[in-house]
Amino acid sequence: MTSSEQRLHPASILFDTARYARLFLWPALLAFFGAGRRRDPEFGPFDPGDFEVWLWILVLPSVALSVARYLSFRLRYEPNELIIRSGILFRNERHLPYARIQNLDAVQNVFHRALGVVDVRVETGGGTEPEARMSVLPIAALGEMRARVFAGRAVPPEGRDDAMARRDDAMERRDFSPGEPPETDRPTRPEAAPTPTGAHEPETPPSPTGAHRLETPPTPPDAHRPEAGPVPLLHLPLRELLLCGFLENKGVVLVGAAYGALWESGAMNRVWSWLFAGTIDARGLIREVLAFVVGSGPLPTGRLVLLLGGIAGFLVLVRLISMVWAFVRLYDFRLTRRGQDLRITYGLFTRVTATIPVGRIQTLTVHQGWLHRRFRRASIRVETAGGKAGAAVRDREWVAPLIREEHVPALVSAIVPGVAMEAVPWQPVHPRAFRRAVKRSLAAVSLASAVVLLALGPRALVIVLPLVGWTIVSTHQQVKRLRWSATDDVVAFRSGWLRRSETLVRVNRIQAVSVYATPLDRRARMARVRVDTAGAGELSHRVDIPYLAADLARDVADRLAGLAARTAFRW
Amino acid sequence: MTDPRELDPRFIPQQRLVGRLTALAFTGPSLIVLLIVLAAADDLPGWGRVALGVLWLALIAALVWHAERWPAKAYAHTRYALDADGLVIQRGVYWRSVIYVPRSRVQHTDVSQGPLERHYGLGTLVVYTAGTNHARVSLPGLAHEVAMALRDDLRLGRHDDVV
Repeated sequence: MTSSEQRLHPASILFDTARYARLFLWPALLAFFGAGRRRDPEFGPFDPGDFEVWLWILVLPSVALSVARYLSFRLRYEPNELIIRSGILFRNERHLPYARIQNLDAVQNVFHRALGVVDVRVETGGGTEPEARMSVLPIAALGEMRARVFAGRAVPPEGRDDAMARRDDAMERRDFSPGEPPETDRPTRPEAAPTPTGAHEPETPPSPTGAHRLETPPTPPDAHRPEAGPVPLLHLPLRELLLCGFLENKGVVLVGAAYGALWESGAMNRVWSWLFAGTIDARGLIREVLAFVVGSGPLPTGRLVLLLGGIAGFLVLVRLISMVWAFVRLYDFRLTRRGQDLRITYGLFTRVTATIPVGRIQTLTVHQGWLHRRFRRASIRVETAGGKAGAAVRDREWVAPLIREEHVPALVSAIVPGVAMEAVPWQPVHPRAFRRAVKRSLAAVSLASAVVLLALGPRALVIVLPLVGWTIVSTHQQVKRLRWSATDDVVAFRSGWLRRSETLVRVNRIQAVSVYATPLDRRARMARVRVDTAGAGELSHRVDIPYLAADLARDVADRLAGLAARTAFRW
Repeated sequence: MTDPRELDPRFIPQQRLVGRLTALAFTGPSLIVLLIVLAAADDLPGWGRVALGVLWLALIAALVWHAERWPAKAYAHTRYALDADGLVIQRGVYWRSVIYVPRSRVQHTDVSQGPLERHYGLGTLVVYTAGTNHARVSLPGLAHEVAMALRDDLRLGRHDDVV
């Protein structure tokens, strides 16, 4: 039922020009007021009349562009897709399958209504911007488009993610203000602002049970039938909250912010002079220590101890602040599962409730810092993405700010059904990976070292040698700990030495796979494999496996892409 | 990758033309900047002026050389294939990459054609996914008919019933 081509409504030219005109509003006002004082002789060469000329230079092209866009824009309905042609010089033909269309938004303001037109936006959920904007269509055309898009949409196959159905209520976050009743049965707290001092108030939460409970569901949740009651998955008692704050060390951020504020206001100098009251001149001390190191002076022991003590005290203070932060921010953290939704609630003053449909989870990452391992704890975070009305929503959520190591696999399989962490067959990277990696690290370090040596002379070896040693050790440790796995269900990647991260992606969440090889990689016959998912953050840990044998990398990518191709991705 | 195909050979002259135009677009403004600098720097010794001029000439020469030589190199290192699983694009002269876009992940597609491409009968296929780094994967240098044929082959429906 290929239809004939349709155009935009002629009023498009008007609305298009109006959109450009908004950009020129200020120049236009300038021209307007300038024109009133045209006879002012003081203006000299900057005759305000010139503004009008400029205005025309700006406006005429925009009108011409609007006309060109109107003339070139064509809309056509094919049995399965919507086709949009646009452009005169740079022509583009876009095919939008009906089945991929997430949103059909129509905007109508007063002017639109007066002219009987509507501004239509079509979104497929891929990018952050609408995939097609039709500004403007006659109202009748919107009805036709709706009918075609929804009639042309194939019957949803069975097993299509529930996410499709719950598109509108997904990832709704509600921040409860202190006055409103929170969702839990906890009494409302009247405090207005989340101040750190609040944590030291006599009113403390129920005494810690001591146990860090992980309540695994008695039976694995049925994927097709929503369950009646919520299943508690994780709850953080007070002790775990404080431990979480201690381990996460958010205090650094807070202290950093405070330091920055003080620095900006110029109060820092006074703080320093008050702190040390002139007894310690930091720079002098460093100079004396350096002098001792090169063997030309005594070690200033007393002052050094004082300084180190100060630093230690500062670190303790930072951790304490961090614990207070965790108490306020994550108070009464609960993770529950209701049917196909995960629900997270936390917060002392601002009660946050986040709902994550399991179908929206794109990646799952387990983080473990050095201190985490000392306490046998880990944290788990998920990345979600999904087309919410208006824009693609991407977010990161801590599903478990802190969890005992031994409870991680159970929680992971409760969150991502069908994934057994303990059964992931981890594989190391290429045997020659360290040799390949250390060259790059050493190249970077020797460049920096050369600069330092040139500037400071041979004495700088005191700095350079430990730096080189550290580079070699840390590269070795990092490469030694790289692990990857690609089964038929899941691709996983583990990296890091002191702070370790492990990311899992189910193959049906893979969007694209790529293999990269730098010239150095090719000399060593290696390559890296990257897995692209929806909603991946810039700084988050991702599946990006380096130092694989080149052939293996191609095989893995080929297989993953094939597996992904045979699964359907639905929002 | 099954049955990798090369791009359309007309891509080489088209890219050369693009490169020459870019070089030309750079030459004019940079020449003006150079002349202004030479005029403004009164205390610059004679050899300094010569050095600046030589530097500028070298830059332009490098641009032109790049415009002439690079397209054939890039062409020789580019392959693509469209099989039952999806689109595979391999490219890069020194820094190599292979991108796999599974068929079932294609959200929508564009076939675009700029004025220079039209002159050579070329077109660019752009494939959109819901991903992050590869939300937009473009394959320039195809014959326009080939780009449209690939697009039709990628069209949803034929292979979408595999769940």
